[in-house]
Amino acid sequence: MVFNSLTFVVFFACVLVLHNLPLSWTTKKVNLLIASYIFYAAWNPPFIVLLWVSTVVDWYAAQGLVKAKREAARHAWMLLSVVANLGMLAYFKYGQFMLDNFTALMTAMGWAYHPAKYDIVLPVGISFYTFATMSYTLDVYLRRAAPARNLLDYALFVTFFPHLVAGPIMRPTELVPQFEQPRRATGAQLRFGLALMTLGLFNKIVLADSFLSDIAERVYDADKIPGALDAWAATLAFSGQIFCDFAGYSTTAIGAALCLGFAMPDNFRFPYAAVGFSDFWRRWHITLSSWLRDYLYIPLGGNRHGVARTYVALMLTMLLGGLWHGANWTFVAWGGLHGLYLAVERFLRGRFGGYRPGPLAFVCLGLLTYMLVNLTWVFFRAKTFGKAWLVLGGMFGQHADARPILSYFSLIAAAAIVGAIVSTHWFMRGRTLESVVARTHPAALCAAWALMAFAIVIAQGEGSAFIYFQF
Amino acid sequence: MHSSTSSSDLPDPALRRVSSSGAERLTASDRPGVAQPVPERDIPERPWGPIFVATLVLFVLLVAGWEFYWRAFGATPGYYNSNAEWAQQRRRIDTGEGGKTVLEGSSRVLFDVQLPVWEKLAGERPIQLAIEGTSGVIVLEDLAADPNFTGRVLAGVASDLFFTGFAYRGEVVPFYHKETPSQRMGNWLSRMFVEPWFAFYDFDFALAAVVKRQAWPRRPGIPAIDPVRKLMEQGADRNTHIWSKVETDAAYREIARGIWTQRLNAPPPPNVDTPEKLQKVIDAQIQRAVDAVAKLRARGVQVLFVRPPTSGPYLEFDNKVFPRAKTWDVLLARTGAPGIHFQDYPELNQAWNLPEWSHLSLADSERFTAALYTIIERDFWPKDDKRAAAR
Repeated sequence: MVFNSLTFVVFFACVLVLHNLPLSWTTKKVNLLIASYIFYAAWNPPFIVLLWVSTVVDWYAAQGLVKAKREAARHAWMLLSVVANLGMLAYFKYGQFMLDNFTALMTAMGWAYHPAKYDIVLPVGISFYTFATMSYTLDVYLRRAAPARNLLDYALFVTFFPHLVAGPIMRPTELVPQFEQPRRATGAQLRFGLALMTLGLFNKIVLADSFLSDIAERVYDADKIPGALDAWAATLAFSGQIFCDFAGYSTTAIGAALCLGFAMPDNFRFPYAAVGFSDFWRRWHITLSSWLRDYLYIPLGGNRHGVARTYVALMLTMLLGGLWHGANWTFVAWGGLHGLYLAVERFLRGRFGGYRPGPLAFVCLGLLTYMLVNLTWVFFRAKTFGKAWLVLGGMFGQHADARPILSYFSLIAAAAIVGAIVSTHWFMRGRTLESVVARTHPAALCAAWALMAFAIVIAQGEGSAFIYFQF
Repeated sequence: MHSSTSSSDLPDPALRRVSSSGAERLTASDRPGVAQPVPERDIPERPWGPIFVATLVLFVLLVAGWEFYWRAFGATPGYYNSNAEWAQQRRRIDTGEGGKTVLEGSSRVLFDVQLPVWEKLAGERPIQLAIEGTSGVIVLEDLAADPNFTGRVLAGVASDLFFTGFAYRGEVVPFYHKETPSQRMGNWLSRMFVEPWFAFYDFDFALAAVVKRQAWPRRPGIPAIDPVRKLMEQGADRNTHIWSKVETDAAYREIARGIWTQRLNAPPPPNVDTPEKLQKVIDAQIQRAVDAVAKLRARGVQVLFVRPPTSGPYLEFDNKVFPRAKTWDVLLARTGAPGIHFQDYPELNQAWNLPEWSHLSLADSERFTAALYTIIERDFWPKDDKRAAAR
């Protein structure tokens, strides 16, 4: 089920009540586990089996890793986990993509290959929970963490509904220890958690769904040639939409966990105020970027084997990171562009290591970063390269005779909302939400909270899925 | 992602934000290559109890004010014309009601055929699957593909939709086929606890719709086509009629007419901007209907096309762009299915009250339903036929 639905409101109320009943901690954990399975099954009940497979394989792989005497056996247990998880991901997420590419290759070689239809439904959140479970066996393999003490805690780590389908991608060491001791939210935690959920849902339902998504759709999903103003407005709108959608989900998830007494990590840190791309990736989808760093970039050698290997590792990591987002070459191009940006930044830092920008240059570099990030969003949003080139062409003034697509209202809405988002990020770039809230007058907090809740209700969202569910 | 692994590459101290408690709150991005610890989430020191209560009171007041505003505007609580509600009615075919009469088509069948009147005359309430702004071919094809459906179909024809394949709500059919348990539960909760109680729960009163329709300046080169406003009220099983405000509020009626006028005068879409292209599209849509009807008739399903009345500029537009000889007559001839065109029957070709030229007033929709059903029973679907079929 999605957070922005009546079903979730009732579900969450029931979970809160159950979690606050005078039951044993084990019973409460069983309740949370069952609730999490219900949360997942509410999309497509049979896919629960995949969750079980992922859970059981990694549980036994980690047990095997601990008991293994020889290094080869440890390798084998680790490989079992990786192959099982990535195999599942490959079959469900990349099967059609691989088949399409194979067919295209055969056709290019002059062999008219006509494969059977590959009609597989993508299980929601598979990219997220396979990464979470893999981090468990990989942490045990890398001797960074001990395996969970019991299957219940481990299964709950994999399945815990706030993070299950769209992150933040949790590490076992972040969550499993929290299941070892009884947890229940204090009154302040519960209320602040509810406030965070309101903020997250406001981002998703009001800003992303009600105002920004339509602006991006009108340009990216229409069969029209965009001029500069329309192409930029739609791309900026998408930059706002994807942030509000995904950061909105993460904030709601963090709030939901907090209401139950659990802590989840930040997944976003005001990324549109980033200065440079390494800074951007410390602020955008932090739990994925750190996952890729720890389990892909560093094992590939990181920056330990010379300049050339560093750039290769960087590019490979970002290309695969792009592919993780979707089975389409446009996502690979998106990752590749980010890899290129990071490589160029690394090169420039090497050449001009002593450079310290003044305040104006700092802001200009930040805005340049944001503009370059927007160019990458074109490949992320466009369904085909043809569309991406068309929009980029518009952004760079190649369609001077293009007819207008967006109304003045859309242009004003995109400018106002995205302007507000970017300004907020700059205001918040060195702060936490909590530190600002702690300094805000209670009356202002009441007004902001009530207005956001009111806007959510009158926006009348129809429970549209979060963008990242498709990944 | 950042490309460093050593501690010297950790982010700028400015990025190590200081939490309200005075402690730094680091994230995984600050700790490369190590096991990540249990996250810390500090709670800002504020009087959360009073804040929560005051927020709740303010929220309730705001929602009550919004509800009061829309009730004063003329809205009353009703059922939301959602995809989930359509799917619920569609599911009746799969759960033992596949032998019933199904009404499908566009908004005219939805608004103009009153289920209680039909039920009174036929002794059975039909399933209402018409959907506004959407070609009836789409649902016809869906029914044709469903072996559970063995009843009868009254297929509404709105020329500008049916013969172009336009589908404003085309997503309803895929939604029905892919609806998740969570969405079904959400619809049930909404019908129990939201829709019958709140008048503001209507697409026309949604925040974005309200903001968008303010008097924003028009951008040169953008056709002036405003979204269709609220025109209907819907009951529990999608029995629908025109909203009383369209009948009684002259200013609102003019808005509704103005929106139709904008659409009728707008340049045609690129796929039908020449007579040849338009004819090609018409032929393609008729072929879709031919295929669907053939499938339905092959398993004994009777299909009856109905062209409900229109008036004023709407009728003129249809006659000009979709002349009967090139559309309706061809449809009946090629499908072999019978049809009722309102202009062919004196009982239906009356001076109906169509407040915005496209849909009948509530009183006339009841009279129209009675007249239509009488013709259907007399000329096409005699009651005895159905009894015989049932035996």
